[in-house]
Order: sequence, then C-alpha cells, then structure tokens
Amino acid sequence: MSLESWAELPLPGDDPAATGPAPGGPADAPALPAAVPASPAAGAPAPSPSAAGTAPSSSPAIHTVELAKRYRRTVALRGLSMTVRRGEVFGFLGPNGAGKTTTVKLLLGLARPTGGEALVLGAPAGDVETRRRIGYLPELFRYQHWLTAREVLTLHARLLQLPRRERFAEDALTTVGLATRADDKVASFSKGMQQRLGLAVALLGEPDLVVLDEPTSALDPVGRHEVRGIVRDLRQRGTTVFLNTHLLEEAEQVCDRVTVIDHGRAVATGTLEELLGARASVRLRVRGLPDGWWHAFASLGTWSAEGGWLRLVGAPPDAVPELVAAVVARGGRVEAVVPEHQTLEDRFLELLGAR
Amino acid sequence: MSAGGGTLRPTAAIAALTVREALRRKLVTAFLGITVALVVLSAWGFDRLSHSRSLSPGELAASLPQALVLFMFMFSFVVALSASTISSPAISAEIESGVLQSLVTRPLHRAQILLGKWLGLAAVLAAYAAAVCALEFAVVDAVSGFTPPDPAGAFGYLLAEGLVLLTVGLVLSTRLSALATGVVAVALFGAAWLAGVVGALGADFHVAALREVDSVARYVLPTDGLWHGTIYALEPRTIVANAIGHASPFYASSPPSWPYLVWCGVWVCAALVGALVLFERREL
Repeated sequence: MSLESWAELPLPGDDPAATGPAPGGPADAPALPAAVPASPAAGAPAPSPSAAGTAPSSSPAIHTVELAKRYRRTVALRGLSMTVRRGEVFGFLGPNGAGKTTTVKLLLGLARPTGGEALVLGAPAGDVETRRRIGYLPELFRYQHWLTAREVLTLHARLLQLPRRERFAEDALTTVGLATRADDKVASFSKGMQQRLGLAVALLGEPDLVVLDEPTSALDPVGRHEVRGIVRDLRQRGTTVFLNTHLLEEAEQVCDRVTVIDHGRAVATGTLEELLGARASVRLRVRGLPDGWWHAFASLGTWSAEGGWLRLVGAPPDAVPELVAAVVARGGRVEAVVPEHQTLEDRFLELLGAR
Repeated sequence: MSAGGGTLRPTAAIAALTVREALRRKLVTAFLGITVALVVLSAWGFDRLSHSRSLSPGELAASLPQALVLFMFMFSFVVALSASTISSPAISAEIESGVLQSLVTRPLHRAQILLGKWLGLAAVLAAYAAAVCALEFAVVDAVSGFTPPDPAGAFGYLLAEGLVLLTVGLVLSTRLSALATGVVAVALFGAAWLAGVVGALGADFHVAALREVDSVARYVLPTDGLWHGTIYALEPRTIVANAIGHASPFYASSPPSWPYLVWCGVWVCAALVGALVLFERREL
C-alpha cells in the first residue's frame, strides 16, 4: 500500500497488541508496548486517490515509511518509519549525526528522499499548500538582519497571506517575549533573541504542526523554561509539536512520546513511561525464605542478586505489591522495597549502547 | 482569492523584499555615489573637450559622441558589475546563511522566490541605469550641448545588457558561492566584450574566422550585442553614414535587429528556466 493511503486511515489505536517495533528498525530494536506500527493492518480501508490533497484532520500529523536519504556515499537515513499523532508533543531524539536534521529537511521538502515515503498533515512531504499549516524553526535560524523583528514577521505573514498581518506579528512577538524589541533590527539581536524570533516566525498564523529543530540551543535557562511553557501551550491548543532535540531533559519535560534514532533508524518509540517503564526495576531485601525463592516469580522479570539485595528488572509496576504480599504469605519478611527509576539519559545511552 | 493573485502575491512580496534589501544595505547608495563621481569627472572632460581650441567644429562634432560612447562604456561596465554584484549572493549566500530555509518552507514555490528576486533586482538595476543615463546625458548636454539621438534607446539597451548579466548571476548563484558567481559573471562579460573587439578586428582585416567569433559570442552571451545597440543609440547618423568609427569596438554601423532582440528575450527566459531547474533540484 502506498503511503498516500495512510492519509485517511484512522490513527493507530491504543491496543498494545497492535503495537510493536517499527518495521525497518533493526531486528533487535526494543519492542515497546505502545510503539506505532509503520504499516497498516490487513484489511484496512482502501485509500482515496485524493487522500494526500484533502489532508483530513484524522490523518497522523507525520507519517513516514522506510524513509531513506543517501548523500552520495553517506547514508544519513536508512528506513525511518514513525508516526506522529495529531495534537501531541513528539520528541525526536538522537545523537549528533543520527539523521535528525536530515529527517526534518525531508519532512519539510528541503531535501528529497532517496527511498521510502513521508506524509505531513496528510499530504506528501513538501506539499506547498500544506506548508501554510506548518511552522518551522530551523536549527540554523537566520533572518534578514537588515529588517526589524516586526518586519520579519510581517513578511512571513504576507507569505502566509494572513489577514491582519500586523496583529499576528504583534501576538507572535509578545508570545516569545520580543514585543519591546519589535522595531529593532535583527542585526542588533543576540543569538538567543534571534532564536526567539525564529520561534515567533514558526508560531505565526497558528499552524497545525510546529517543527522545532533544537529550539533552545541558544537560550539561557530562563529562555529554555519559557520555550517549554510555549510548547505546553501549543499542546493545550491542540497543535502538534515535532521537537527535534538532543536535550533529553527537555524531551522528558514536555514530550508526550519520543522516537530515538541512531544511525538513521528508529531504535525506540513510545511514551516516556513506556520507554522508561519497560526497563524499570525494583530492589528488595527479603529475609526468612530459602535461597532461590525468587525462581517461583521468574515470570515477573529478570532477577539478580547483589549482596543482600535482589533486583527485579522489567516487572509491571502493579505487580510489585502482589509480589510483596506473596512473599509475606510464604513467611518471608520484606525489609525494604526500593523502586528504581531509570532516567531518559540512562535509557538513551542504553539504547545507543546496544547499536 | 483568485489563483492569479495567489501566485503573484508571494512573488511580489519577494520582489519588494529584494528591493528593500538593496536600499537598506546601501547598495544603491554606493553605486549612485560612484556614478555621481564619474559623472562629475565626465562633466569636466566634456567641458575641456568642447572648449578645446585644437579641434575644428567638425572634429568636435565627431569627437563628442565618441567621448560619450567611451564614458557610457565605463558606465556599462559599472552596470554589469552592479548586476553581477547584486545577483551573485541572491540564492547561494542565502542558502549558506540559512535565510532562505525559512522562506522556502512557506507556502510558495521556488519559482516564485526566483522570479521575485529577479524582478526585484531588475527593478533596482532599471532604476540605477535610468539614473546613470539621465545624469550623464543631462550633464553632457549642459556642458557641451550634445544630445544623443536616441537617449531612451541607449537606456533600454544598457538595461537589457545589465538584465542579461543579472540573469547570468542568478543562474550561477543557484550552484556557486557568491564570490565565484561574481567572478565568473564579470569574466563572462569581459570575454563577450573581447569577442566583440576580435570581431571588429576581423572585419577590419577581413578575417572571416575572427568575425565568426563575434557572431557566435553575441548569441551565446548577448551582452556585447546589446552594448552595440547602446553605441548605435548614442551615435549621430552623420557618423554612421560616414562610418567614422569603422571597425572600432566603440562603433556600431546598425542597431541590433528585431530577431536578435527577440533572441535576447528568449535567452533571458531560457536562462531563468535553467536557473529554476537548478534551484528546484538543489537540496537545502
């Protein structure tokens, strides 16, 4: 089935059984409970030929299948399959050179894929009319330095053919905290202020999808905090945010779901809970039971003994109270139960370490 | 909104932005400053020439137009330099700086960006060429009393020559850096002019092969062919009739033919299409 057929398909459901690692990912890619399938289920409704052009709001905000990009001998992206749902803040994580910015360029039509397909807001990536509903903050944010901030925004409002351009420009400048510098030349702006201006340009006209490529790279902690607030506001408004970042803390704070890519492939996709929960562990100190008692609970996860402690990795959170009750029922004395939360950084490094 | 309006508005927005950039970055001011200095120099020269006691009235009548052609040649070089200077960073430099990325992700086609830039730059060049011609012709008339027979034609050919080079710059700018584009465009302009000189020598010495060089070069890059249109528009018909400047790179015995002018128009359109193809294929 061609990618266009996805434009009118319903969003992947929440049925965990229907989920799995994205096809095209490595064979050993972690199977995350809510990972999104990259190919439609058998028996899916036939697509309308005009699916891409109509861009129904029920289509995913972004959907890629086996998206690939090769620059001569360098493979930047090797079969990326992912789905970004409408209205979510989606984190796109990966180390330098993983293919994050290449993916953004392909999604926006700045570069052409050498394989696979991509739909953005239900239309083929790069579709001119669809760009009206997309806001984009480039990683390399540069604007006409001989214009004022207000003029930059008015220009973009004009290109978007927005009514009341001045009003839209004023609102966007206020949102990013540049209202008092509206009539200053961009040339006089610091790097951080230029990034704020770029964010204002991306927010102009209330787009359905905002693509932010490293949006806080030039900002101080206060600026980063403000940008996170803006991203949360966008989510409240129902705007989809595609956040390309290598700042894991940022992703942890604002993203509903994330995809981790490495070497041009998705190595994990899911909500943060799913991503971290799958590897959550709990440490127990139990007395009064014979050695090896835990073998009776092997199905809960992976057990290991460390000194006087036992570590259980991968158990569902709601299984721990039942485990404790079972231990007590068998005559054991539970001296300590210590849940261990993996940070996104730990998980990230773990994922990349397995490449 | 009409489809036409939808197509033209972004193009007009880019054209207006381009004009504003030229004004804000003081390109126009810089070139006008140079022009005023050169016009003052020419005023002094024409004043000396017209008051020379060593020239007979006939010699003066012949030398004034030729002096104007020489000065206008200098201005044609300034116009050519302006055209290549303003067009060379139009695409490549904006890609390198990242400015263009924010524009091409807006709902407009790359063709609209390219056409908008061409129109904006053409407007700047037209204003500059008009200022050059108006200033120079007015000063020469005031100082020496000589008025070229076809000042509007001279302006038109000078502008057309500039537009050809502007288009060359835009084509090159889709692939080369601003510096490389500027160097190559000026070098091509010089080569085309040199081909005209070679052709004139070929005509003077009856060497068909040299004449052919000029004939071919005029079609490959029509700047020199159009420059000869400027020359013809500046020459009094008595000079043409007497063939006073025969076989000189600063003499034209006839204006460019209509088919040749049509070719020039086709050339510019084809080059713009080529620029668009290159720009469309360029990954940002």
